[in-house]
Amino acid sequence: MTTARLVVRNPSGLHARPAALFVRTCGRFASKITVGNPAAGKGPVDAKSILSVLTLGVSSGTEIEVTAEGDDADAAIAAIREAVDAGLGEDVEAAT
Amino acid sequence: MSEPGAAPPSVGIVVVSHSRRLAEGVVELARQMAGDDVALEAVGGAPDGSLGTDADGIAAAIGRADRGAGVVIVADLGSAILASKTAIELLDEPVTGRVVISGGPVAEGGLVGAVQASIGEPLAAVLAATEEARMMDKGVAR
Repeated sequence: MTTARLVVRNPSGLHARPAALFVRTCGRFASKITVGNPAAGKGPVDAKSILSVLTLGVSSGTEIEVTAEGDDADAAIAAIREAVDAGLGEDVEAAT
Repeated sequence: MSEPGAAPPSVGIVVVSHSRRLAEGVVELARQMAGDDVALEAVGGAPDGSLGTDADGIAAAIGRADRGAGVVIVADLGSAILASKTAIELLDEPVTGRVVISGGPVAEGGLVGAVQASIGEPLAAVLAATEEARMMDKGVAR
């Protein structure tokens, strides 16, 4: 099992198109993947479900906790980290 | 047609509305969210271009959307549902047996279904997501 805490920096947070891109990134892996918004006490939920991800209320600047369990868990977390850091399809201000 | 070593076929989505522009708009948005690899078809309006529904047009769209994993239809209401049922009856096996009509909302269901289809979820899961979309949390607190 691999867990990472990632800060979502793109302007929309995990909503609409960025949320869809997040789900599609997770969907490339066989591992069971969950995502939560610990500061808000929401989740963890199935990271491969757009409806579930949208319930987390993740706005820009929120730290999410992503956990993957399975043979490709490490690769999944690496890909998710890369996608989140890249702004999930949106422009992202340089991290301060 | 799939290339050797390609991912298994994904479920297709057919968006049916009384309005061609409404159906095309849902597909436009769903395409942006779900990417280029999922089969999305818009069917709207009567054959003469007026507001209405067209069972033959829906049947043709199902044929284009089916890649072997089945098709979920999201429709606006009333005769869009009836015409979708007629369209399924117009088709032959094996396609007709793997087409389902969602009871979910046409816009939200179409978007959510497209995203779930794009990650290779099976027909039952995509159908369930389109129907659960009616309870989508849009962050409006009451």
